[in-house]
Amino acid sequence: MADITVERLTKRYGETLAVDDLSFTVDAGRVTGFLGPNGAGKSTTLRALLGLVRPTHGRALVMGKPFHELKDPVRAVGAALDAHDVHPGRSGRGHLRTIAAAAGLPNSRVDEVLDMVELTPARDRRVKGYSMGMRQRLALAAALLGDPRILMLDEPANGLDPQGMRWLRDILVSLAGEGRAVLISSHVLSEVEQTVDSVVVIGAGRLVMQGMLGELVKGDRRPALVRSPRADDLRDLLEAAGASVARDGRADSMHVHNASLEEIGTLAAEHGIPIFELTHEVTTLEDRFLELTGEGGNVR
Amino acid sequence: MRVLKSEWLKLVSVRTTWYLIGAMVLLEGLTAGLTTGLGDVDDLRKGNVSTFVIGTHLATVFMFTLGALLSTNEYRHGTANSTFVVTPKRERVILAKLVVGLAIGIAGALLYIAVHAGLGLSILASRGVDVDSDLVVNGYVGVGVGLVLGCLFGVALGALLRNQVLTIIVGLVLFLLAGTVALFIGNDVGQYFPGEALLALQNDPRVDLLSQTYGGLVLAGYCVALGIAGAVLTREREIA
Ligand SMILES: Nc1ncnc2c1ncn2[C@@H]1O[C@H](COP(=O)(O)OP(=O)(O)OP(=O)(O)O)[C@@H](O)[C@H]1O
Ligand SMILES: [Mg+2]
Repeated sequence: MADITVERLTKRYGETLAVDDLSFTVDAGRVTGFLGPNGAGKSTTLRALLGLVRPTHGRALVMGKPFHELKDPVRAVGAALDAHDVHPGRSGRGHLRTIAAAAGLPNSRVDEVLDMVELTPARDRRVKGYSMGMRQRLALAAALLGDPRILMLDEPANGLDPQGMRWLRDILVSLAGEGRAVLISSHVLSEVEQTVDSVVVIGAGRLVMQGMLGELVKGDRRPALVRSPRADDLRDLLEAAGASVARDGRADSMHVHNASLEEIGTLAAEHGIPIFELTHEVTTLEDRFLELTGEGGNVR
Repeated sequence: MRVLKSEWLKLVSVRTTWYLIGAMVLLEGLTAGLTTGLGDVDDLRKGNVSTFVIGTHLATVFMFTLGALLSTNEYRHGTANSTFVVTPKRERVILAKLVVGLAIGIAGALLYIAVHAGLGLSILASRGVDVDSDLVVNGYVGVGVGLVLGCLFGVALGALLRNQVLTIIVGLVLFLLAGTVALFIGNDVGQYFPGEALLALQNDPRVDLLSQTYGGLVLAGYCVALGIAGAVLTREREIA
């Protein structure tokens, strides 16, 4: 049984179809990225899983059950929906204590999770004065309180600096390594690219693809970036060999589709063309993501 | 029990709670001191003791606001999300808020009476004004129960309406303005308005209303009805 099962989920808000016949599953032991542009329906899906909104059709199940049927929801699921969901007048510690009390957890657990997210020095300060990154850490701490089997985090990387991102990546990967299911949403793939093992991509409320991260980009689809002082000559040779070549504004670089790095390098060497750079496009994954979810405005 | 502890922590971990109670006690203590200290001794002797006991309606509004914040802060600050994820049986949360509202309401009422009576009655005694102790006790019981019910009214109305500003405005209208409206409509219906029921409960001698007990029951009835409606709606509505 998958830890999270979304089955033909549809959620309608008046005229707006926020989630449209969406199905996917999330398994334990890995980090799953839940991706889609703004307004794609990510938050709505998470809210349905947490029993906060009612599906119009279909089901959103956690460990095979609707959320409200879970015996011990706090130990099953830890969720962080929005880092702003805190009373600004409470201290970080005070905020967590209200949640721990409702969950029947001791105050010592509060201090433990504060330590895990490295917020101990600020724990007695009022949340009013927290930075965005500190609020994200506090939200994660709240999700971790019950030592849950499943983590659902809505845009946890939002507002984190590069160090924060690396820290988040390490902690999520190690939590998944302990056998938990970790589901994190994002509207930018690059933000979570290095964290997630598998992805669920949605657009306009519908499933676009589900699979391992690698499947998002099939090998032959990855264009190569080539820099050469004889770019025009190389382009002609490559096109003659069946590759498609696109030039950008720069005189010495081009983007090559349908040819492997090996083929390009060999061809250049055979004709004595110097190569300054030969690599896979780094932006490909993002481009592919945009391709899948559409570049246009998604505000519905 | 868990939910109760959580709700209590929510109440006591924000400064606003203490500011509201402090402001109420300060304001009413001041009023008590001024009316008894500066009032004409003859007037005071003529038995206006029960109007002095009642103080101002602001005390009830303060306790109402405290109760309203307890419910509406969840939506205002988004903590409703974690609250209802941790406790999916949402009606329990509302019930816990009502119990916590009852507790802080009683604490506030006792504090009010201690300061108000302590100050006011000792000033009256020093000025040689004898008071009818039955009237005083009756008055303070009514005022105290009114403060507790005011707080519960706030919790219940807040659970129902969710919006903080709206809840407080509706509360102000009901407690402060409804009296005037009631007089327009006619006393028969008007006396059942929350503000009028509160006056009756406080045993206000200036108006001819329901009996004290009946006034209290009417006000309590509002709290129960709103509380049930708030709990049921919170269970049925989406948290979005
Ligand atoms: N409570 C609501 N009432 C009405 N419409 C809503 C509500 N919540 C979401 N929607 C609509 O549903 C759609 C999906 O919204 P949702 O918040 O799930 O998107 P998202 O993928 O989380 O986007 P983002 O990346 O911006 O957070 C949007 O068109 C939004 O306007
Ligand atoms: Mg969202």
